Amino acid sequence: MSSSRFPIPQGTLDMLILQILSLEPAHGYGIAQRLEQISKSVVQVNQGSLYPALHRLEQKGWLKADWKQSETGREAKFYSLTRSGQKQLRVERDSWARLTGAVQLIFDEGSAQ
Amino acid sequence: MNRIFNWFRLRRLEGDLNRELQYHIDRRVSDLIRSGLPEPEARRRAALELGGVTQVREEVRDMWLTRWLRDFVYDLRFSARSFLRSPSFTATAVLSLALGIGATTAIYSLVDQVVLRALPVDHPERLVLIDWNGEQLAETLGSDNLMSYPICQDLQQQKQFFDGVLCRAATTINLSTAGDPKPAAAELVSGTYFPVLGVSPALGRLLTIDDDQAPGSSPVVVLSYDFWKNQFGSAQDIVGRKVLVNRYPMTVVGVAAPAFHGIDVGEVPSLWIPAVMSAQAIPGFQTMLDRRTRWVQILGRLKQNVSLAQARTGLQPWFKAMLDEDARRTKVSRVSAERRRQFLASTLRLTAAPQGHSILRHDLSRPLWVLFVATVVLLALACLNVAGLFWARGSARHREISTRLALGASGGRVGRQLLADSVFLAVAGGLLGVVMAPITVRALIAFLPRNIAANDLQANIDTRLLLFAFLVSLAIGFLAGAAPALQACRESLVSSLRERAGTAFGGLSLRRTIVTAQIAFTLILVIAAGLFVRTLSGLLVRGPGFDTSSLISFGIRPTANGYSPADATQLIRRIHDEIRSSTSTQSSAVANFPLLLGGAWSNPLTIQSTERLITDRDVHLNAVTPGFFATLGTRIVRGRDFDERDSLPVNEGGQRVAIVNEAFVKRYFGGRNPLGAHVGMGTGPNVKPDAEIIGVVEDISYRSIRERWEQAYFPIGAQYSGSIFYVRLRGTPESAFAAMRAILRNADPTLPIAYFRTLDEQVNRTLNTERMLAALSSSFGTLALLLSLVGLYGVMSFVVTQRTREIGIRLAMGATRLSTVWLILSDALVMIAGGIAIALPCVWALGRLVESQLYGVKPTDPVTILSATLVLCSTALGAALIPARRASAVNPTHALRFE
Repeated sequence: MSSSRFPIPQGTLDMLILQILSLEPAHGYGIAQRLEQISKSVVQVNQGSLYPALHRLEQKGWLKADWKQSETGREAKFYSLTRSGQKQLRVERDSWARLTGAVQLIFDEGSAQ
Repeated sequence: MNRIFNWFRLRRLEGDLNRELQYHIDRRVSDLIRSGLPEPEARRRAALELGGVTQVREEVRDMWLTRWLRDFVYDLRFSARSFLRSPSFTATAVLSLALGIGATTAIYSLVDQVVLRALPVDHPERLVLIDWNGEQLAETLGSDNLMSYPICQDLQQQKQFFDGVLCRAATTINLSTAGDPKPAAAELVSGTYFPVLGVSPALGRLLTIDDDQAPGSSPVVVLSYDFWKNQFGSAQDIVGRKVLVNRYPMTVVGVAAPAFHGIDVGEVPSLWIPAVMSAQAIPGFQTMLDRRTRWVQILGRLKQNVSLAQARTGLQPWFKAMLDEDARRTKVSRVSAERRRQFLASTLRLTAAPQGHSILRHDLSRPLWVLFVATVVLLALACLNVAGLFWARGSARHREISTRLALGASGGRVGRQLLADSVFLAVAGGLLGVVMAPITVRALIAFLPRNIAANDLQANIDTRLLLFAFLVSLAIGFLAGAAPALQACRESLVSSLRERAGTAFGGLSLRRTIVTAQIAFTLILVIAAGLFVRTLSGLLVRGPGFDTSSLISFGIRPTANGYSPADATQLIRRIHDEIRSSTSTQSSAVANFPLLLGGAWSNPLTIQSTERLITDRDVHLNAVTPGFFATLGTRIVRGRDFDERDSLPVNEGGQRVAIVNEAFVKRYFGGRNPLGAHVGMGTGPNVKPDAEIIGVVEDISYRSIRERWEQAYFPIGAQYSGSIFYVRLRGTPESAFAAMRAILRNADPTLPIAYFRTLDEQVNRTLNTERMLAALSSSFGTLALLLSLVGLYGVMSFVVTQRTREIGIRLAMGATRLSTVWLILSDALVMIAGGIAIALPCVWALGRLVESQLYGVKPTDPVTILSATLVLCSTALGAALIPARRASAVNPTHALRFE
């Protein structure tokens, strides 16, 4: 665990989880691995905060969970996106795009001077 | 909402989470081992990455239950601990709430059972009571809302308005099942009774229209479920058994459904008998089919789409035609023109009767509502008290709250703590109230009249109401708790922390308002208590007009046991002779109608003196043996008592005579001497006023203690009979009771005694309602007084604490101790005066509600109001004096050094 990795920005973990699950259902460990792979170990996810986040999203009705057989043959809790979860993902993606766009604009202006 | 459900599946959620986390760790460990780490190191690493399994679990749990809810439990625990540290505060608050909630729910559950609750039958909302509004020109047998049986039959034909019409009459019969006959409460009913109400049998069959054919045609009975259970041990072979009703054999055909207790909550029948058997069930009653005998209450079930008003209008043509036809019949045509006009002007009255028909309701609904209003006032008072206490506590905790805020607690967090306090108190008070309420109801039911027919009142508490009272107290707790919390959040931290301990934020004006309202409520309750106590004591002092000590009364009904009238007279004469010769008897007499049982034999009379005069209202009548007035101790103010000769038939040397009372003389003779005038029963032109008035007696109570009505007495003998004994005893009633019972048993061991009691007890019974009102309103008044004194004391102590410095300065500047006391007292006086100013108009407005329950006092009786106000003022000033004295004892140097 090199210190060059960023801690994940606050509030984005939910969005990332939703995004990952929009591809296919996965269990907690799978999501953790996927996060690490996709972000090429640049973003550091505190695994301890993953499970509270999953349960919070499940409470909100954006995720649903089923116990299914995993690739190792053991039963694991698989999360998948609900319809309202998909809607939420679109909303978050939009606002993220707006935010990063705005931040980019500010940076651009700063470098233009 | 989800989160609340989570409370209930916590165990499963925990299990799932453990499995989930275990899976994660196992996978991570095996991945790490595969990448070359030794197992112990892999395990350590996996746990480290996760940041501690326990911590994750804890965080996930927060997701399930919300932090709020979990913290609230901690808050409650904290509240409980802090309440236990100040037990007097807690006890006062909890008891206030418990009393308020307990009393309100108890009284309301009686109101509900007596006044509001619908019968447990099909669609009770479509039941209507059909009643005659006006002059019926009929003989009366029973109490209220009476009609004749043929009218019920007529109404059953009005099929366009009613699905069915039933009639019923309550009576007491002598029932023998195996051994000696015992009195039992029965309901004489039409065959339509059970079908119209929609009651089903628990066993056998119920009565049907086939039981309605001709008088005497259907000797069957239906038992109530409870009677079957208690008297017959739920015998399965009950159907077909023979029982004796007044010695007449009848067959049990069925048992009614368990929940059905008749249509009168105050008088639960043990069995139902077809109305066609009325001649057997009511000895001497032969006029069931007579249109001029009223003895049944009639209830109808409206058709689905017919309204009450439609039925009333629609029935009018039939009713008018019936009046016209009846007016042509001989008996009616003989009455005076005035009464005939009243008869023809009669109308039919229909009233919704989903609760059935009950005399108890008629008598008790007003007193019960009065009490209910009183308890609501009491509950309001209790809540105000708790609010005041909370306020005081909130002020005292001001520094604590400020400190917590300064240490970083959020305003919401602190507010939640204060709310937890309120909830905790409300729950504690509510629970105690729940425990108290059934005990209170049981005590209340003991106040109510009880005859052979037991009432159906239960000590069950209405859960909806309990919930309501509970929520009210919760809401009050919330409001009272929230105000200091809001205050704490709004204020600047620094300034409040800098303040000295002991002083606190404002809100004093609100507390003053609360105390003023409390005093107003209290004064209302104290005045009510005063009025009811004066009513009761007035009635007790007044008494029935005769000496009740060592006077007993008992009744028998030989004709109900198969005696012919002549044999019954013989038997009564024999018993009376024995009683007279008994050593325990001082004097004795027999009467036709019992005193102080609520009823009276009444009829208008025709008076013949210098002119012929008809009494403008019913006269209360009785037939008595010679010595009746002497036995009661009633003075004969003019003329003489009956003697043995008066009871002989006219053709055997007897003469027709009557004795009237002073009220009668006053009303109809204007105080002139009535001796020698004649009276006759009835009003028609061919009534012969042939009974000479031979005496005038003092007024005595007949129906109730409140009443001194016009009375006339006739001698028992050729014309009238009687089997109610009045005996003035020598020695204690206990020993005499045994002697009297022995005499009765000797005369006929199978003859049941209808009732047997001292007249003292009888007087007490007639005053049950008044006693209930007086006892309860006094205890409410005392409680209210106590509650508001606590409130006032609290506020005044607070004021003194707050003004310590000011008082110190005043004293230092040369003010006297006395002027300091006055400074504080005048503050209290403003609140007291304000309370009185609010209360008096309320008393005036509420007066009408209680007016009918009072006797001898007006609701605005100045003496009562003045003395209640004085009591309140003096106790309130007493409560304010304690803090005021403390104020005067302030040491100026100490008070100023505080700065």
